[in-house]
Amino acid sequence: MPFIKRGASSTDKAPDSKADGGAESHLAALHSPDAEVRWTAARALGGVAAAVPALAAALGSEQVPRVREAIMTALMRVGDEASVRALVPCLRSEDAGQRSAAVEALQSLPGAVAPFMTALLADGDADVRIMATELARNMAPEDATRVLSGLLEKESHPNVCAAAVEVLAEVGTRDAVPALQACAARFAGVPFLPFAISTTIARISSIES
Amino acid sequence: MSFDDSKRYFIDRRLAERIAATGSGSFQSYFAMLRSDADHEIEHLVNAFTVNETYFYREDHQLRCMTAHLLGDLLRRKPDREAIRIWSIPCSTGEEPYSIAMWLMENWSEVDKYNIEIVASDIDTRALKAAAEGVYGARALMRLSHDMIERYFARIDEAQVRIDPGLRESVQFTRANLIDGQDMARYRDFDIVFCRNVLIYFDDASRRIAAENLYDCLRPGGYICLGHSETMSRISPLFSVCRFPEAIVYQRPEATDDGK
Repeated sequence: MPFIKRGASSTDKAPDSKADGGAESHLAALHSPDAEVRWTAARALGGVAAAVPALAAALGSEQVPRVREAIMTALMRVGDEASVRALVPCLRSEDAGQRSAAVEALQSLPGAVAPFMTALLADGDADVRIMATELARNMAPEDATRVLSGLLEKESHPNVCAAAVEVLAEVGTRDAVPALQACAARFAGVPFLPFAISTTIARISSIES
Repeated sequence: MSFDDSKRYFIDRRLAERIAATGSGSFQSYFAMLRSDADHEIEHLVNAFTVNETYFYREDHQLRCMTAHLLGDLLRRKPDREAIRIWSIPCSTGEEPYSIAMWLMENWSEVDKYNIEIVASDIDTRALKAAAEGVYGARALMRLSHDMIERYFARIDEAQVRIDPGLRESVQFTRANLIDGQDMARYRDFDIVFCRNVLIYFDDASRRIAAENLYDCLRPGGYICLGHSETMSRISPLFSVCRFPEAIVYQRPEATDDGK
């Protein structure tokens, strides 16, 4: 047969010595000119809470998408408020890939994101508010309903309302109905929104009944 | 997974069971739990929907893709005399890595020109022990022809067969944890990785960690084959999507995005 087997030790190469360095060496390596070194450092710092400030700084300046992904994963693995604070600025990125990656990362941390929701849903940038509605998808239904109903009560941009309505259609409870009805009345001149809202109200009502 | 209308009752019943088992009280509460994958609920739900089994030549369209496209592409770039390294993770009780070896013997005319190394890993040492023993029942063999069973297995009794010793010696079995960085650092330079039907059981963070680990385990330009219901695009943008007639697979870019 053409198949070969190496000995266990030669098949399984010894771990890269860079991966065995302490946290200090990995923190320094985040500034290496070599992307491979930065990638390895970011991966090694995953889940290290003390590394969050350095990871946040690195995320702000990192130009290589692959390394940026690794930094975001490292922050996700910590998953505390400091990590969320580091990821939130990526919602404003000019790079759509980076914005989407930040949404995905933040969606996986619904508890840590919760304290930031009020500010994000009141952000001056409508695009940030739209992405913030996405962060509610993984929250508990009553929490998602509360924050998105609060948004609908005062939001002036129909696209932001539409984004919130879409999330409510999936995770909302009946408590969202008054805010949805008020929003539909306020945007009666924007036909797609009352239509989407009526569909959402019907769905919420049928699921809960 | 795809269920038609006739399976509605099956779905409703399984969902009701999981809603009750988790004490969710309503579909919305349960759905929120599912979305956040609290207490690995996705795994529990998938387990409720599936019969956990594997068998020889499962999803053989990917094996066909390997011999029709992947190996040719890899060999064009591979230095002379360098072995082709294939990794099956998780390998469960061995049906997949043995299938890879059998498929290559049966369907790749160039199989004798190259050194081929098949490594098979799993986190479950009991499964690895069973894989190394290579004893299988009729269910595992259901996709194989009578002729292949005759050539690659020896009958133990009416219910069981044992895989050919030569084939058993073709595969190296090791223990590995996909989301353990130190563990995975022992595995490098693979040309093709079969990592099927496991990432769906992980939460978001674990999936991303596994994807990054697999990136490091592959040679530049190496391919990864996932299960038919899994997509790497949603897990990580580290890989390029490659669409072949037989299968969609994922490739570690040949050059890194910083040009190296």
